[in-house]
Amino acid sequence: MIIDHPLLGPRDAAEFVYLGDASLIDRPDWQAPDAMEKFHAYGYLRDNPAGEHQELWYHEQGDRSWLVVTRDTVTHTITKVELARDVARGKTKARGRGK
Amino acid sequence: MAEFTLTAAPPLAGHDETFGDTRLHAPQDFAIVSVALPLGGETAAKKAIKTAYGVELPAPGKSVVAKGKERILRLAPDLAFVFFTHAGADAETIVADKLKDKAYLTDQTDVWTALELSGPMARAALERICPLDLYTDAFALNDGARTVMEHLGTIILRTDDDTYLLLSASSSADSFLHAIETSIKNVI
Repeated sequence: MIIDHPLLGPRDAAEFVYLGDASLIDRPDWQAPDAMEKFHAYGYLRDNPAGEHQELWYHEQGDRSWLVVTRDTVTHTITKVELARDVARGKTKARGRGK
Repeated sequence: MAEFTLTAAPPLAGHDETFGDTRLHAPQDFAIVSVALPLGGETAAKKAIKTAYGVELPAPGKSVVAKGKERILRLAPDLAFVFFTHAGADAETIVADKLKDKAYLTDQTDVWTALELSGPMARAALERICPLDLYTDAFALNDGARTVMEHLGTIILRTDDDTYLLLSASSSADSFLHAIETSIKNVI
């Protein structure tokens, strides 16, 4: 499998380490009244789609960047690769926080 | 208690062998300092690099040679390596004097072992163990990348038409040398 890194170009999947569902970026607010419930879902509840899935990959044998890879779990077709920091910053902006 | 002074010694120092016209050798006094750009201080750090070396920090995956013959390789958006020739264990202070405190520096001279592979069979030998596309247009002059060869983390840098600089961990230097030697022997 080849992952087309947004900065470095196509790289073999052997250079990467898989973490899991990209929803791990959305860490709940620990001060929220329902934090317990939110963290339970964050820590344990995962979707298991047969189809498009957004997941976190770490380029350990490369530039050590975290990527959000959109992959079809049935065909392994990769449709989109983004830097996780760009995704995270986009989300922070959308929530009206950060610079 | 006895007092010991430890002096770092490059594991492959003095290694030099030729396979026909293809040469594999360990460069002498090869100093390596990593430069990390502070979060929020990227612009100031880039400006300091430009002032100190007279060259812009290149794009990730590219390197430039500065006026003082130092080579700057950018491996990631916020990480670059500076390579230069220097004997002694104070490589970090030399870069620190130039960049002041605009970037985070780490002396990595001891961490990596360097091998330079040059000659007509260099690319053919590397093609067998390097997962990157080394075709001359795809991996152009001064391109550099971090990847894996024979399960060993490696930085590869193209310094001339048929010359590649390879860096791998000092702790597995002999295994790395063996991997490169074997690959050369397989193609000549």
